[in-house]
Amino acid sequence: MSGLHTLLTESERYSAKDALQKGLPSKQVESWKYLPSRTLNRTNWVSASHRESTGFALNGGRFANLPLCDGLSTSTHSSLNPSEIARLENIASAHGFSLAQDALNTDCLLLEVMKLAEVRIDLSRLANNASEAGFATLVIRVGEGARLLLIEQFEDVPRSQPNLDSLRILADVSRNGEMKHLRFQTANDHAQVFTEIAVDISENGHYNLHTIDFGAKLSRTDIEIRLSAEQASTKINGLAVTNGSQYHDTHLAVEHRVGDTQSAMTFRNMVDGKGEATFNGRVLIEKNAQRSATEQSVGNLLLSKTARVNPKPELEIYADDVTASHGCTVGSLNQNELFYLKSRGISETDARAFLQYAFAAKLVELIEDAEIRELVESRLLGELKHGELISELKESVHV
Amino acid sequence: MLSIRNLHARVDDKPILKGINLEISAGEIHAIMGPNGSGKSTLSSVLAGRDEYEVTNGEVIYQNQNLLELKPEERAWAGLFLSFQYPVEIPGVKNVYLLKAAVNAVREHRGLPELKAADFLKLVREKLKIMQMSESFLHRNVNEGFSGGEKKRNEILQMQLLEPTLALLDETDSGLDVDALRIVGEGINLMRAPDRSVLLVTHYQRLLDIVKPDFVHVLIDGQIKLSGDFSLAQRLEKEGYEGIEVA
Repeated sequence: MSGLHTLLTESERYSAKDALQKGLPSKQVESWKYLPSRTLNRTNWVSASHRESTGFALNGGRFANLPLCDGLSTSTHSSLNPSEIARLENIASAHGFSLAQDALNTDCLLLEVMKLAEVRIDLSRLANNASEAGFATLVIRVGEGARLLLIEQFEDVPRSQPNLDSLRILADVSRNGEMKHLRFQTANDHAQVFTEIAVDISENGHYNLHTIDFGAKLSRTDIEIRLSAEQASTKINGLAVTNGSQYHDTHLAVEHRVGDTQSAMTFRNMVDGKGEATFNGRVLIEKNAQRSATEQSVGNLLLSKTARVNPKPELEIYADDVTASHGCTVGSLNQNELFYLKSRGISETDARAFLQYAFAAKLVELIEDAEIRELVESRLLGELKHGELISELKESVHV
Repeated sequence: MLSIRNLHARVDDKPILKGINLEISAGEIHAIMGPNGSGKSTLSSVLAGRDEYEVTNGEVIYQNQNLLELKPEERAWAGLFLSFQYPVEIPGVKNVYLLKAAVNAVREHRGLPELKAADFLKLVREKLKIMQMSESFLHRNVNEGFSGGEKKRNEILQMQLLEPTLALLDETDSGLDVDALRIVGEGINLMRAPDRSVLLVTHYQRLLDIVKPDFVHVLIDGQIKLSGDFSLAQRLEKEGYEGIEVA
């Protein structure tokens, strides 16, 4: 037996049987068509182990050192309300892997940001050991008029064997509430990172996500946003830099359930080597969601002949009074721009680095938190072949 | 300085340059004029090394080197500068990064020490003043959202910083209002030097009223049909290119 079988067989949960029965989704399942599932299927996964750590962390499938601050309460699975339980069940029912995520879930933490409170939470996802798989769920309630900043970072320590980290984040943003979520994924080269984000937004509430992926052998982020009341809005920005034999997958679904709701999405995929990136962005505007507005822009930059992207923007509109725009590009570096830089004496390698940086920088600039922005930028420059010139310029020219 | 001999070039199998001969000596300013489609822009693109153009015959010798064998960046290192007819917008790259990277790349290949940030900024501020550009142009992305006139001023700013030996100015006067034309023209005049040559490619005489060329050539259908001094430009302005074609 390999894959998640052993773990599922040992589990006594009902959903484990379902998961075993369904098995992992295959290439025949549209949303799993491109995902290379070999490692997931062949590794003899064992439960992740816990180790010493500091700060709020997802540590071997369990939350450690829970955050303590004014306006924030923490509790466990037993405090979930029926609607949250139903939503988790709904997420789990999607396919075999989501059933497994549910069945193997080892920790569920509920974080509640009180009405009008302002809270920042820093979560570190620690690297699991060889063949270890950790599954956890974070449920978040953002109270009326409250503001939450959630910063999710990854421990980047070398691992030589596959390791799996799965986190489901279920969030509710109440009336006039705001949740800003910043993910900076720099997991180790052998990591299989799965993140499922499901957010429901109430009247005049806002959810803002920046999702930045540099690391992991395989990373998949599923994002489901429901705009459930008037003036609910969301803004989602994603940047994935994929190289070597990395695979990155974003599946996004935004649902405009009622009128006067807004969504805006900007994604950039930069793929080099034998890297592969999949982007599926679905926006649904329900029949009664009049005066809704959505815009989606997806850019894919291919830097080698063996790099692959699978972009699929989808717009499904049933209302007749909406503003919708979407654009998707796939291309290599612009020859005209390269020639311009070279004609100024900038070498081919530096010119290419300049343009790659420019492609990604637009999304980096949008990050409000200065400290994280610097971290992302320095990682970006490190990833570029010949990014030294830009690093040096940025340091030297303060005008 | 530059010797173009029997230069033939085509794009997508369509011959555009059909045997150009031109000699430019150090310190001279030459103007190439001609109607639309005569091959003016192709000539400057071929000289700068754009690879969509295929040279089918002839040679270009620049300071004893075979210019056509050099890559675009090597041409820049050797002192060639092209001011683009349509300067390229590069979102995400700050103008100041391009300027500093370009200046130091060219300096390195001329055996000059790298300009440190403070010295570079002092120099660039001096040049901005000449081009009547505000310092905000340094922070903005290369040519992004610049007006037509601002783009051309940015080109001449780059030329002043890079101090080329041979400057090719492709339709630098197009899209300029009277004031911008004067600023750009005077910016070019400031670059006049005994060891520097300029090749102006233009459709109209108006830039030549400010930057007086030593020689004027008329390019028609891929060949230089007539050469003369500044009076030729004045004659063209009066009679148009048709008179030349008949002659």
